[in-house]
Amino acid sequence: MHDHTHTIPVGPQSPTMKEPMCIRVNLEGNYIKKAHVRMGYLHKGIENMLEGKSLIKCLYITEHICGICSYAHSACFTQAVERLYKIDAHKKAKYIRTIVAELERIHSHLLWFGFAMHEIGYDTMFQYGMREREYVLECFEKITGNRVIHAINKFGTVRYDFDKEKEGKFILDKLAKIEKIYPFYEKMARKNSVITSRMKEVGTISKSMAIKHCMVGPMARASGIKRDIRKDHPYEAYSEVDFELITETAGDSWARTMVRLREIVESIKIIKQLIKNMPEEPVPKFTKAGPLFMANVPEPKKTLTYGQVEAPRGEDFHFYKIEKGIVKKARIRTPTFQNIQVIETLLKGVEIGDIPVIISSFDPCFSCMERMIVVKDGKKEVLKEDEFRSKYC
Amino acid sequence: MNMIRKSPWVSIFNASSCNGCDIEVLTLVTPKYDIERFGAQWKMSPRHADILIVTGCTNETTKKRLKTVYDQMAHDKVVMAIGTCGNSGNFWRFCYNVKQRTDSVVPIDIYVPGCPPRPETIIDAVVKALALLKEKKNETKKNNKKATKK
Ligand code: SF4
Repeated sequence: MHDHTHTIPVGPQSPTMKEPMCIRVNLEGNYIKKAHVRMGYLHKGIENMLEGKSLIKCLYITEHICGICSYAHSACFTQAVERLYKIDAHKKAKYIRTIVAELERIHSHLLWFGFAMHEIGYDTMFQYGMREREYVLECFEKITGNRVIHAINKFGTVRYDFDKEKEGKFILDKLAKIEKIYPFYEKMARKNSVITSRMKEVGTISKSMAIKHCMVGPMARASGIKRDIRKDHPYEAYSEVDFELITETAGDSWARTMVRLREIVESIKIIKQLIKNMPEEPVPKFTKAGPLFMANVPEPKKTLTYGQVEAPRGEDFHFYKIEKGIVKKARIRTPTFQNIQVIETLLKGVEIGDIPVIISSFDPCFSCMERMIVVKDGKKEVLKEDEFRSKYC
Repeated sequence: MNMIRKSPWVSIFNASSCNGCDIEVLTLVTPKYDIERFGAQWKMSPRHADILIVTGCTNETTKKRLKTVYDQMAHDKVVMAIGTCGNSGNFWRFCYNVKQRTDSVVPIDIYVPGCPPRPETIIDAVVKALALLKEKKNETKKNNKKATKK
């Protein structure tokens, strides 16, 4: 018998993905026998660049790690620095940060929803999702002055003040519009046969599989794991608000859609509570004194610190070694890095037509993820992708 | 309106951007900033495209790909570099995996600054690209005529 398999590269520049990634699939007929993920198209070397830079520069760099979860990364870094220097951020600053974080979650989920609909060929829904997302971007512009890279965090405070009457009212107005249309989305996702037939029982991840691969965020929650940093280790103002942890049990692409859609409602709930209880006094002005570009703080004895934030895609974790206001070591672990590992197992045996649905249901974000430093025999080598491949693969 | 004679197809190439520029380019095809008003349409395949939008600083891995994609495009093409990354490398140019600016890999016709640029800026750039495309077309026609005469 001949071997009737074909190998097809999906990506890097492919209609199914907005970001470059290459999956090499071995096909037998229409079914995938083996899948191989190839990364490295977005690798720049951020961790390496962070080392040896002052904190204020690193804050700027961490904001640009990813355009979609820009806030989450900078929040993670700010949290790490605040933890090390024992700075307690102002209460109102915490509230503002949480509002931005939740807005970012709504924005990311709507963007993802639109894209997932685009992948299954339902372009009308894609345009609807994008239309609602624009409201959130307007809110961002109102609070932070920027549409995409928000740059709102400062150590111990935030860059702009928040007025309940002006910004608060504006945001509530826009959120009311999203809330009004939301039931339509949920109805479509539950009833519309285009969506259910393409997404139900496609790419199912069981609970045990999700635990084995250490999955995080909406992916894990869709498989029935109750894991959310906002609940487990509350930061910013999350301990003061009341919200539900959304889980589904099915674990398929459809369950992941539902988790993300239902989280939008929870985020709106959180923002409403925060705006209602917003403290009146203005946030402290940010001063340029001291080595940290903030009010003088004593140098701590410890050097290691970490930040942990629930980004829209799951747990974002930064680990730093900071000495005298200079970052000496950095390690960034992003949610997509945790979640993407399951892809090779998951694609085995599925039809080739389902690849776009499965991949988009992961909500991968590669620009966050791609960094690679090899530590061997105590020596650190920084390798390019090709070198790494020829050496270690 | 006189210059809109052609509907160009636009393709996006992500040369290791941070996604910020990509999602701003994406907003162009959404209801608020619809660029289909100018006849432009978003196409994934570069083989069908007249305008190539490059986002991000070009790293060592995407360098080869960017060249391939540029060669795959049909003639009379316009390349736009979106974002500070595409223009100058932004601060990424200090990274070990980013060794050159995008314009040393492929010729770039239009530079759009901003990190990320606002959608209005990108629309303006697309309209300018339309004019440029027409110019290039005319030039090719002239050259073709000359070649046939000879
Ligand atoms: S210009 Fe700014 S937003 Fe655009 S890809 Fe570069 S860092 Fe990201």
